[in-house]
Amino acid sequence: MRVNVQKLVSSLIDVSATDPDDKRRRKLLSILLLGIAASTFLMLLVLVVLVLAGNNLEIDGAVWIGATALLFGCSAFYWSNRNPAIPGWVTSGVFLLFLMVLFMFGDTPEQLAGGRSLFVFTIPIIMASILLFPAASFIFAGFSAFEIWYLAVQAGTLYNTFAAIGFFLVGLASWLSARNMEQALREVRTINKELDQRVADRTRELSEALTRESEQASQRQAILQGIADGVMVMDTRGMVILTNPALIRLLELPLDKILNKNLAEVVRSPKVEPEDQEMILRSVGYNQATLAPIRVKWGVRTLSVISAPVRDQKGRAIGNVAVMRDFTREAEVEQMKNAFVAMVSHELRTPLNAILGYSEMLRDGFYGAVNEKQANAAERILNNSSRLLNIVSDLLDQARIEAGKLKFDYKPFHVSDLTDNLHSVMDKIARDKGLELTSRIDANMPGQLVGDTHRLQQVLVNLVNNAVKFTDKGSVDVYIYKVNEQHWGFDVTDTGQGIALDDQKHIFDPFRQLEGTVTRSHGGIGLGLAIVKRLVELMGGQIFLKSIVGQGSTFTIILPFELPRKEEKEGEK
Amino acid sequence: MTPEKPFGLIVEDDPDLSNIFSEAVHAAGFETEFVLNGRVALERLHTVTPHLVILDLHLPEVSGKDILAYIRSEPRLKKTMVVIATADAIMGESLRDEADFVLIKPITFAQLRDMSARLKPAM
Repeated sequence: MRVNVQKLVSSLIDVSATDPDDKRRRKLLSILLLGIAASTFLMLLVLVVLVLAGNNLEIDGAVWIGATALLFGCSAFYWSNRNPAIPGWVTSGVFLLFLMVLFMFGDTPEQLAGGRSLFVFTIPIIMASILLFPAASFIFAGFSAFEIWYLAVQAGTLYNTFAAIGFFLVGLASWLSARNMEQALREVRTINKELDQRVADRTRELSEALTRESEQASQRQAILQGIADGVMVMDTRGMVILTNPALIRLLELPLDKILNKNLAEVVRSPKVEPEDQEMILRSVGYNQATLAPIRVKWGVRTLSVISAPVRDQKGRAIGNVAVMRDFTREAEVEQMKNAFVAMVSHELRTPLNAILGYSEMLRDGFYGAVNEKQANAAERILNNSSRLLNIVSDLLDQARIEAGKLKFDYKPFHVSDLTDNLHSVMDKIARDKGLELTSRIDANMPGQLVGDTHRLQQVLVNLVNNAVKFTDKGSVDVYIYKVNEQHWGFDVTDTGQGIALDDQKHIFDPFRQLEGTVTRSHGGIGLGLAIVKRLVELMGGQIFLKSIVGQGSTFTIILPFELPRKEEKEGEK
Repeated sequence: MTPEKPFGLIVEDDPDLSNIFSEAVHAAGFETEFVLNGRVALERLHTVTPHLVILDLHLPEVSGKDILAYIRSEPRLKKTMVVIATADAIMGESLRDEADFVLIKPITFAQLRDMSARLKPAM
């Protein structure tokens, strides 16, 4: 009910105007008119009731006429005020003038011009500043001053100059307050407008962001659903919180056996060997990226698994993502290739060994004296079959490394044996090219270390052999030194042609040599450095290359070896 | 049978290599004989007592590993020296404790000759 009254009042005082000032003034006028009309109506009602109740009131007939006229006048102004076609200031101005005229009949001219009713003339002055515009108060102060002059003339009294000055002072006060009020209103309006703009901007941005977000989310969802690789995301406790259909297919597990399960529960499956379970948990359940994909057997499939931490914007790890790829086919092919290479190279060795043996026996005159040319030819057969054998050995090593079949035998060894052996194998080869092979063991090296001496020899021989191969004059120097308590450095430096920066990236790739022409003149199939790198890595070390074209190259290996315990020490030779 | 020279048995399925190996062992001063088949070698070892056996591992019918096991289990062959000559480095390495020496192919004539000479017993 109250709402309805409020609505009714609102609809009564509301006006349709676009200018906010005009609207405010019209509203104010409506309120005034409604107030005047309501009080006039109430007064009339009371009078009628009193008369009907039998009271003998001596009321002038003009009161009835005036009150009724006032009601009609208010209605007329009200209508005009609500009419947008008539400017607001016209209605207000006419209303105020009407008031002023009305006041003239409110009291005797004497009282109006200088007595008790003088104050009524301040009303239109104040109202003008609010209903018309602030400075309108001065205009109506002028009207009021004129009106009391006219009344004073009518009444034959003295003109009240102080009252006229007072009107202007009231006008000044009204002007100031109305002006301030309007200014404040304008400011509020500006602030509101800015606020509205800001709210609109934010709303738009928010809705755009939401749209974008949902687009991205659906894109991500589509990617996750569509890719052939299995994906699972784990939180920091190792709980699987997100996965995709490919993973379900690869692991052959139902969704409820993966989602919201701990990774350890997911991998604990009869389809996975305990060793592989361990490997997955170690590499995936860890808050750091796996350096290289691990391979595990999962049922009939071979999976290649790689993982990386998921980080928030501040870089904190908030979980892990693991990507699993079906590697079955590749693993089979790789297996076949390695088995093939191993078999072929093994089978190649036997006939090569026979060629080696016969040519050696020929050269050494085992089958009777040979002349120099014949001995030379036998020597060439020997050398070439040796080269062929080395290639076969490299292939076999590479195949073994790739198949993960290479085993290391850690035993104490004498560091000096390394250089001795190196000289015995490489001195002749270096000398034949007119190069000098030098070696130096730093004074801070211990006498013995524990490691696979055979593999370390292989690495050093390969590096020196490579250095000799690519150096035409000068020397190849080997330097062995201590890096720290657990790590030992091996430098192989040559004065060869050097390796361009671009080529350094690929130098350790299998089956690659630099540019066709080099390949032609240096023989080999480019496995040496790849094997060296893999061997060094398998022994837990690293290899570095520093090279300047035209000046030479230095290959540096850093390897971890332990010092032998006392009882382990090999007896002095 | 008491030969003047020490006796060396070469067990190698490749005829060329067995020829080279026996020449090398012979050059070191041994009386030599070669067999190309594992089973034949095992039968032969039942009757002869060589001082030195050059043993390939991958052999037809009976493997070199089994032959080595027989030699080590037979008291009569207690003094027999066994040199494994194989291209299979992994298997060769695994038998290092049971054999006297392990040579990984390729094996040169001079290498085997010199080694045999060192293993030659004083007669």
